[in-house]
Amino acid sequence: MDTHEHIVRSYEEELSALNNKIAKMGGLAEQVLGQSIDALEGRDPDLAAATIQQDEAIDELEKEIEEQAIVMIARRQPLAYDLRQIMAALRISTDLERIGDLGKNIAKRALAVVGEQQPKQLMLGLKHMGELALGQLKEVLDAYIERDADRALKVWYRDEDIDAMYNSLFRELLTYMMEDPRNIGLCTHLLFGAKNIERIGDHATNIAETVYFLVHGNAITDQRPKSDTTSSTPVPLRSAV
Amino acid sequence: MSLAMQTEIKNKAATPAERLEEKVSVRHLNFYYGEYRALADINVNLYQNKVTAFIGPSGCGKSTLLRIINRIYDLYPNQRADGEVLLDGTNVLGPKQDLNLLRAKVGMVFQKPTPFPMTIYDNIAFGVRLYEQLPKADLDARVEDSLRRGALWDEVKDKLDASGLSLSGGQQQRLCIARTVAIRPEVILLDEPCSALDPISTAKIEELIDVLKRDYTIAIVTHNMQQAARTSDYTAFMYLGELVEFDNTTQIFTNPRMERTQDYITGRFG
Repeated sequence: MDTHEHIVRSYEEELSALNNKIAKMGGLAEQVLGQSIDALEGRDPDLAAATIQQDEAIDELEKEIEEQAIVMIARRQPLAYDLRQIMAALRISTDLERIGDLGKNIAKRALAVVGEQQPKQLMLGLKHMGELALGQLKEVLDAYIERDADRALKVWYRDEDIDAMYNSLFRELLTYMMEDPRNIGLCTHLLFGAKNIERIGDHATNIAETVYFLVHGNAITDQRPKSDTTSSTPVPLRSAV
Repeated sequence: MSLAMQTEIKNKAATPAERLEEKVSVRHLNFYYGEYRALADINVNLYQNKVTAFIGPSGCGKSTLLRIINRIYDLYPNQRADGEVLLDGTNVLGPKQDLNLLRAKVGMVFQKPTPFPMTIYDNIAFGVRLYEQLPKADLDARVEDSLRRGALWDEVKDKLDASGLSLSGGQQQRLCIARTVAIRPEVILLDEPCSALDPISTAKIEELIDVLKRDYTIAIVTHNMQQAARTSDYTAFMYLGELVEFDNTTQIFTNPRMERTQDYITGRFG
């Protein structure tokens, strides 16, 4: 979106500082998500611990963005596109902070399963799902930086893929657990990991909605296809016996 | 507001990277219009290279305070001040103060643009000639530099011989700021400089204030508290001749300490 520069240059500088902080926070969130999945897949406690640590920087940036947004609302009295930029920064920073937390949670689960001896094949589905979510996150952050509503809209529609992946992973992990009760510990952690990734996908979708609002000034009116059916899927316990 | 609170604010604001220098210190200042006490025990600082805004309802004494700093009030009978106004440590209220010298150091711009009925060039050169004897080339350079500092040069460079009165309101106000700057003051007092201007001209003046504070210490009186929020580093809230609160501008507009300040800036005044 093309806009002219503000007459007051310091206002322009503050807006660009706000944008840069979101970009930085997004980069860190991507890193936390990518590393947490690598740590889980590679049963790498060092990487997991480092990733947990990294989430603090994300929390710190969220605080900074919130403070800056409040000061800018009070002191610049932003209107129209400027107001949307500041509201968008506030909303996106909240989503990114949650993504950081969910990534951190995956890293914690990586620590919990370090001693598990099951074949790594069990992890493949989760890894693939993580890659999908990471792709969505990258794409939506690019859409934010480029102020590209169409790109954001594509992310918004594509969340369906993550939901579908989550459904199939849910069933797959259930099957492993039914096959061999020794898998239950690991698979429970993987199931929560999958749930976290699914939630990260939802936050990426939120960001896509915010980018759309930022550019157009109104909400996406279409209905988003929802494919996460795990909450209504019966667990066939009896067939496991 | 007490001196102790002032010191606390100064200490809080002074980071290792940035030391605040008191350019102007107002100490226990009272001001009287005849018998009427318009200002009561005012203590406030204008920090070097910072913009300090004075806000408050009409009649609260904010313009009066500004008029004391360069002793414009001396022009009127029955007005007197007691207390101290220190400019770089020297009390400007003292009887030995040279008023012309003071007004050269402390320039002032008023609510209504007040260009002289002469050419744009002479509007700037007039004040300079009062204080300095410059060769023509130097005077030309001073006029250009001042108009550049006033962010007006590009708009008037081809018509320096046109009357100052032929400019638009916003341009006239920038001409007045350029005229003030031409005398090379140390402090610039702005009394409602944008109240007669449209939003674009206002934004130009506000950008100008941002730039000018690198070289000058600035005080601005404004009815428009959003403007105070936008332009200033420090804000003083005055009410009924008293200074209710003084703090850095972000603090005042996001979390003021005094209930009266909160009520005023949020439009809840009783």
